[in-house]
Amino acid sequence: MKQIEGVMAQTNAPKGVDPDNLFFVQVDPTKCEACGTCEEHCATGAIQAINEEGIHQVVDPAACMNCGQCLVNCPYDAIYEGVSYVDEIFEKLKDPNTIVVSMPAPAVRYGLGECFGKATGTYVGGQMHAALRQLGFNYIWDNEFAADVTIMEEGTELIQRVKEQGQKDARPLPQFTSCCPGWIKFAETFYPDLLPNLSSCKSPIGMLGPLAKTYGAEETHTPAQKIYTVSIMPCIAKKYEGMRPEMADSGFRDIDATIDTRELAYMIKTAGIDFNSLPSQGPDPILGDSTGAATIFGNSGGVMEAALRLAYEVLSGEKLNNPDIKVVRTHEGINTADVKVPHFGTVKVAVASGLKNAAKLCDEVRAGKSPYHFIEIMTCPGGCVNGGGQPVDPDIRASLFRSTVAQINKRFRARRVGA
Amino acid sequence: MKLNRRGFIKVCGMMAGYAVLGANLTREAVAATMDFVGLRQKSVYDADAHIYKVRKSQDNPMVKKLYDHKEGFLHDGPCGHMSHHLLHTHYVDRSARVKVLKEKGYKFNL
Repeated sequence: MKQIEGVMAQTNAPKGVDPDNLFFVQVDPTKCEACGTCEEHCATGAIQAINEEGIHQVVDPAACMNCGQCLVNCPYDAIYEGVSYVDEIFEKLKDPNTIVVSMPAPAVRYGLGECFGKATGTYVGGQMHAALRQLGFNYIWDNEFAADVTIMEEGTELIQRVKEQGQKDARPLPQFTSCCPGWIKFAETFYPDLLPNLSSCKSPIGMLGPLAKTYGAEETHTPAQKIYTVSIMPCIAKKYEGMRPEMADSGFRDIDATIDTRELAYMIKTAGIDFNSLPSQGPDPILGDSTGAATIFGNSGGVMEAALRLAYEVLSGEKLNNPDIKVVRTHEGINTADVKVPHFGTVKVAVASGLKNAAKLCDEVRAGKSPYHFIEIMTCPGGCVNGGGQPVDPDIRASLFRSTVAQINKRFRARRVGA
Repeated sequence: MKLNRRGFIKVCGMMAGYAVLGANLTREAVAATMDFVGLRQKSVYDADAHIYKVRKSQDNPMVKKLYDHKEGFLHDGPCGHMSHHLLHTHYVDRSARVKVLKEKGYKFNL
């Protein structure tokens, strides 16, 4: 176990095992205060009291979507991460025979600064690229590029689905987004009948892994077998996604390791890099450049807005002069909108933030009552910026109210032991 | 509602917490969590509007190079043959294991 930005983690780097049998988050029973906050934040009920004392545990990996909302909301730091690759990545960075590729997600650059004392949400994209270079990554490629590719694929798929309605073997509407690994496992586990509605597109990182080992290897004249891809995510569920057996379309493992924002901060600190004095740098070409449409993937409603920026232009044949489609931006709950597209008609969309809200939209689709064309779902309330792998809100740990409750609980317990 | 000893202690603790701090402050503590998320969200939209020069995926020059009809790596376009091989996937019905757990008496929310 290692302490990483206030969260404990097992640095085990599992290989070739079935991720369905791994606990990506688990409760340390010696630290659990039985407050039940984790249970309130868990959509599936995978984390529950296991004894009379109210001590909580994730009861089975099959019911856990690996989102880590329990972990970031636990006021007692009682939940640890079950899978971490930081030690292995340090070794690979030292190995001259390995070409290590970095692939940071959009939301990482809005959380990483907080680990170095910056204000909540400070954008540190340039410093992040510089830090990755100093850590020794051979290529600073960026998952935001893959987010742009995802829009091309997923937007095209949506347009195809809309056009093929009424034909034989038409794929069903609404189309659900497929970027969020917690949501994908949720659909596979609790709504398997809706799998045909899921976009067949991989998530951005699922696309960047194979692109790095095929297109990237070709363009940089690097032997693909030497490439070691590191996905850097605001998310714990992405560790599960990277280990899925089907993620091997490049002819190798597409994603060799996955770490989260906290673990990247830990690596930068361990390497002795002075993050705050780093200059702003760009990513490497080929698989690095990105757009505003890619960076908003970090927010709930962002994938929807980015896809609409494409769909509008393709369906209407006109330029979208103002790319802001603010109606789909979502902070909490469910957001629905009718987007009028000239020469086409109305595109009906819905955005759900949090799996409890996702379940409502899924039930509607299951009942055949869903009026939407396109539905975006994010497991974490607010989107990836609030992911389970992001720096923990200092207010949650230091909350005056919660610490008071903890102290009083401790006193009660101490008295009981003495009695 | 049946209240065991542990539950009783928890309720006492919560009530004492409310008594010490007052309900207003408690509400603020809960609301602060989503404010925190709101600050990160605002930063994302600010970056989209002010930092990124190109704002639509289809206008990204590197994306255009990737999908170039003649020389692009994905020259058959989005959802083309190569895309389907590398960038698309399939899903697996994972409901069986949870069904078994439910039969064993575990309760889940769905």
